[in-house]
Amino acid sequence: MKKIFFIISLLSLFFIGCEKVVDIDVPSIAPKLIIDAAFEVYFDETPVTSSSIVKLKLSADYFNETIPIVTDAVVFVTNLSNSTVIDFSDANADGSYESVTPFIPLDANEYELTVIHDNQIYKGRATKVKSTPLTNVVQGDETLFSGEETELKVNFTDRGPEENFYLFDFTNNLFTNIEDRFFNDVDYNFSFFYAEDEIVLPAVVTVKMSGISKAYATYFRILVGQSGQNSGGPFETVPSSLLGNMINTSNEDNFPLGYFHIAETDTFTLVLVEKE
Amino acid sequence: MKKIYFLFLLLSLSAFSQEKYTVSGTVYDNSSNETLIGVSVYFPELNAGTTTNEYGFYSLTIPEGTYKIQISYLGFSTIIETINLSEKLTKNFNLKEETESLGEIIIEADIEKINIRSPQMSVNKLTSASIKQIPVVLGEADVIKSLILLPGVTSAGEGASGFNVRGGAADQNLILLDEAIVFNSSHLFGFFSVFNPDVIKDVKLYKGGIPARFGGRLSSVLDIYQKEGNSKEFNVTGGIGLVSSRLLVEGPIEKEKSSFVVAGRASYAHLFLPLFDNDNKAYFYDLNGKFNYRIDEQNNIFLSTYFGKDVFGVSDNFVNEYGNTVVNLRWNHLFSDKIFSNLSLIYSDYFYGLILDFVGFEWDSGITNYNLKYDFKHYLNDKFKLSYGINNIYNRFNPGEIIPNRADSGIQSEKLIDKYANEFAAYLEAEHKVNDKLTLQYGMRFSNFTRLGQDELNVYENDQPVLYNEELKKYESAEAIGTESFQRSDVLATFSNFEPRLSLSYVLDDDTSIKASYNRMAQYLHLLTNTASPTPLDVWAPSGRFIKPQLLDQFAVGYFKSIKNGDYSLETEAFYKDIQNRIDYINGANLVANNEIETVILNGQARAYGLEVLFKKNTGSFKGWFAYTLSRSEQQTLGRTANEPGINQGEWYSSPFDKTHDISLNGSYEVSEKWTFNANFLLQTGQPTNYPVGQYEVQGLNVPIFDDNRRNADRLPAFHRLDISATLTPEKNKNRKWQGEWIFGLYNLYGRQNAASINFRQNRETLRNEAVQTSIFGLVPSVTYNFEF
Repeated sequence: MKKIFFIISLLSLFFIGCEKVVDIDVPSIAPKLIIDAAFEVYFDETPVTSSSIVKLKLSADYFNETIPIVTDAVVFVTNLSNSTVIDFSDANADGSYESVTPFIPLDANEYELTVIHDNQIYKGRATKVKSTPLTNVVQGDETLFSGEETELKVNFTDRGPEENFYLFDFTNNLFTNIEDRFFNDVDYNFSFFYAEDEIVLPAVVTVKMSGISKAYATYFRILVGQSGQNSGGPFETVPSSLLGNMINTSNEDNFPLGYFHIAETDTFTLVLVEKE
Repeated sequence: MKKIYFLFLLLSLSAFSQEKYTVSGTVYDNSSNETLIGVSVYFPELNAGTTTNEYGFYSLTIPEGTYKIQISYLGFSTIIETINLSEKLTKNFNLKEETESLGEIIIEADIEKINIRSPQMSVNKLTSASIKQIPVVLGEADVIKSLILLPGVTSAGEGASGFNVRGGAADQNLILLDEAIVFNSSHLFGFFSVFNPDVIKDVKLYKGGIPARFGGRLSSVLDIYQKEGNSKEFNVTGGIGLVSSRLLVEGPIEKEKSSFVVAGRASYAHLFLPLFDNDNKAYFYDLNGKFNYRIDEQNNIFLSTYFGKDVFGVSDNFVNEYGNTVVNLRWNHLFSDKIFSNLSLIYSDYFYGLILDFVGFEWDSGITNYNLKYDFKHYLNDKFKLSYGINNIYNRFNPGEIIPNRADSGIQSEKLIDKYANEFAAYLEAEHKVNDKLTLQYGMRFSNFTRLGQDELNVYENDQPVLYNEELKKYESAEAIGTESFQRSDVLATFSNFEPRLSLSYVLDDDTSIKASYNRMAQYLHLLTNTASPTPLDVWAPSGRFIKPQLLDQFAVGYFKSIKNGDYSLETEAFYKDIQNRIDYINGANLVANNEIETVILNGQARAYGLEVLFKKNTGSFKGWFAYTLSRSEQQTLGRTANEPGINQGEWYSSPFDKTHDISLNGSYEVSEKWTFNANFLLQTGQPTNYPVGQYEVQGLNVPIFDDNRRNADRLPAFHRLDISATLTPEKNKNRKWQGEWIFGLYNLYGRQNAASINFRQNRETLRNEAVQTSIFGLVPSVTYNFEF
C-alpha cells in the first residue's frame, strides 16, 4: 500500500515548479554503532548455501562523505538451542565479518548475535523465517507513468495458511515488501516497474525473494521510506527514529541501529532486453 | 429593602409601558429576489436592531409608535423608511445594489455598529464578489485560498488540502454547505477547493465563540450558503479559466415564488499531463443544484444538491476517483412572526476509490451520513432571542474494501470492518441584551455519541492494543487475542458531553467594544493521518472503545473598533485553546488499509494560543486589510505509565501546522469603472519539519537518522509571496445584456521558490547526500473571463 502514497506523491510532482538542492545546517549526535546482519539461506539450492555477513559501521553526520567502518569488534553467533558458538572475523579488514567455518542456520533454532565494540556488548536474537520459491520472473511490456519504465512480472505461490511477509530485492537498492493478507495460500503475481533512471538495458538482474518476520517488514518499510526512495511532497509521513532489534546490554541509552535477521531466500536471474 | 423597591420599579415599568408589537419579514436582493443574510435592521431612535438570519428573515419586537427603520447591507444602498407600529407588521424589503442606484445615500457605519454590539466574535465573512477578486493561482477563485488571507487561518502550504484554524488540525473544521457536512474540501489533492464561487451566496468562518447550534468539530465552522436562484428573471453566469470553466443558470419557475439554480464547473480533461504521451487523464467537476418553492409567507421549501468528483488515471494501470455527494431537503416554517423554524433532512457521502491494476486490485472506501436537524429561532423581544434545536446524525464508515480487478490477479477480496455510530445533539441558546452596553449570548449544547455494534471487534490482552517494548525501547502493535461479534443495535461505547458556550460584548462607545467568549466543543470523529497535510485516502474513524472523543476549551477576548464612521475597522483578539484526546501515532504506524487502527494510536493532548490583529479599510476606491497572527500550536503525548516515554520523551512538540508569525495583506484599488487592481502579500514562518541528525548504511541503503527526542524541532524556510491581479470591465458593457470582465493574474510575482518540503536523500549518481527542496508554484500567470447575461 505504500505504493499508493508513492503515486500520490507523484501526482503532486506534476505541479512542481522546481526541485533544487539546498544547503541546510543539520544537527548532529555522537556516533552510534550500526549492525547490519541480514542473513540469507538459499533454501531452494542443492546443497543449501547461505550468506551470513555482519557489517559493522558507525553513524556519521548527515553530510559527511564517508561512513566509518568498524574493524576491531568481536563478533559471534550463539545457537541458543545447543549453546554452540560460531565465531565471525573481519578477514579483509573492511568491516564485513564472516563466519570462520561455514554456517547454515537451521529451522526453529534461535540464534543470538553478540557484538563487542568499545567495551560495550550488543546483543540481538533471530530465528530463520521460512519462505517460498519464485515460480517465475519475466520481463513484461507494460509501463506505468512515463511510458519508459521496464516491467518485471513476478509470480509465486504463497506459503501456507499462516501470515507471511516477503521482501523483494530487485537489485540497484530497489526493494519492495509485501504481506500475504490479500493472497493467502494461493498463486499471486504482481508487476514491478524500474523507472528509466533506475536501470540501463540490456541488463542481467538477480531478483531475490526472502521470507521475513513481521517486525522486520515494518522496519524495512520505514527504512525504504526514509532512505529517500519515495521522496517528496506534503504526503510524506512524519519521520521517526528507526530502532532495530539489537540492544546495548552495557549501556542501554547508547542503543545501536541496524537489524539481525535470518531469512530463507530464493533468487532468480534473468536478462532484461532492450525495448523496441 | 432597596432591592425589592428596585424590582417593584422594574415590574411596574414593564406593566405600565406601552404595548409591544412585532415587526418581521424577509430582506431580498432587488435584482434577483435572492434572500440576503446578515442584513442589519436597525431602529436608530430606539437604538435597537437585529440582523437577518441564514434565510433572510428578521423579527424584532418593540413598543408601539412611529419610528425610522434602517435596512443596510454592505454593497447595497441603505433603505430608510418610517413605519407606524400599532399592530404586528410584516415588512419585506428589497435592497438595491450600490452600482445600480448611484447617488443614493449609503450608510455603511451602521453595519459596523451592529457588528460592534453583537456578542459574536472570531468570525470572518467573505462574499462571492470579494472571493472572485482576490488573486489566486491559475486564476481559479477559491473560498479556502481566500480564507487563508485572514488572521488565524493557515494551510499546510501550496497544493496541500484542508486548512488550519487557530492552530487546529484540518479535521477539526466543520464544513457546511447549505447545512450539510462536507468531508472533503479539495480538488486535485488540495490545489483547488470544491466550492464553485459562482454559486456561493455567503461564507462565514467561526473561529471561536462558536454558537451552540454548531458542534461536532473543535476548531472552526465554515458555514457556506448557496444561492437560491433568481426568481425574477433568467440569468446565466459563467467563466472561462486556465484550469476550469464554469456555468451557472438560474431563473424563476413560478415568478417570485419558486426558482432554481444549476451550476457546473469542470476542469479540462488532461490537466497537467501533456508531459507524457501515454493514455492518461486528470480532471475534476462539480455540480450544484438548488430548487426552492415559497409556498406562502409562512412556508418555504428548499432542495439543494452538490456533487463533485476528481478522476485521475494513467492508462488502465492506475485509476483514482474520489468525491462528495450531498442532498439536502429543507423546510422553513414560521410558527408565528416570532418563531422561525427550519427542518433539514441531509444525506452526505464521501467516496474514495482506486484501481491498481499492476498489483491486481480495486480499493473502495468512504463515509456516509444521514442527518436530521430541526432548528428554531425565537425572537422573544428586542432584548431576548432564543435559539434551540435538535440534531441527529447516523454515520456509516467504510474503512475500505479490496476487490480483485481481474480473474488472474490472485488477490482475495477483503472488507475492512464497517463501523457505525449515531450522534445526537440538542441545544438552547439565548442572545440577551442586558442593557445598552452589555449583550450576552449564552447557551448549552448537549451531545451524545453512540458507537453501534459492528461485525467484529478485536479484543486485546488487558485491553491494551499498543504495547511498549522496554528492551527495544519502542512501541509495538499488540496482536488481538480474539474478536467479539455484535448486533447493529448493540452499543459498543457511548459518550455524552455538555458543551457550554458563552459570549459577551460590552460597548465602550458607539464605535468601540470589547468582547469575550468561552466555548467547549466535543468531536467524536477523527481523521487518521500522519502526513504533513491530509490526503484524500485518509479515513475517518469514530470514537469508541479505543479512541476517546476530542474535547476543546477555548477562551477568547477581543477589542473591536470602528474608525471614522466605519471607513476603517480594527479587530484584535487573543485566544487560548486546550484540547484533550488528540491522537498521535507510534513510530512506523501504517494507517493505510489498517483494520486495527487502535494498535498504532497513542492518546495525547494539544494546546494553542495566539494573538490576531485585523485592520481593514472598508470603503472608498481603495479597500483592503492587514492581518497578523502570532501563535503557537503544540501537542503532547505522555507515556501511559512511568516506564514509557510517550512521544518526544513526553515533552510538548510543535504541531505540524504551527506557524509563529503569519502576516497577510490584501488590497484592491478601483482606478476607474474599467480597471480594478488587486494584490496579496503573505509572509509566514516556515512549517515545522524534521532534519536528520546523522546517517548510516544498511543493506546498501543510505538512511538518515531522525531523533525522536526532537520531533518537529526544525523549520522550513519562511514562506512569502506576492500576487497581483487586474480586473478589466469593458466600457461597452454598460447598456447591454451581456456583461463581461477579464481577470489577469500574476501569482507569486517575484517567483519565490517557497519550500513545500525538504527531503534528504542520496544522489543516485554522485552517491552524496543532499537536501532537496521542493517548491510547487513559481510565477504563474493566468487569465480568466467571466460573463453574465
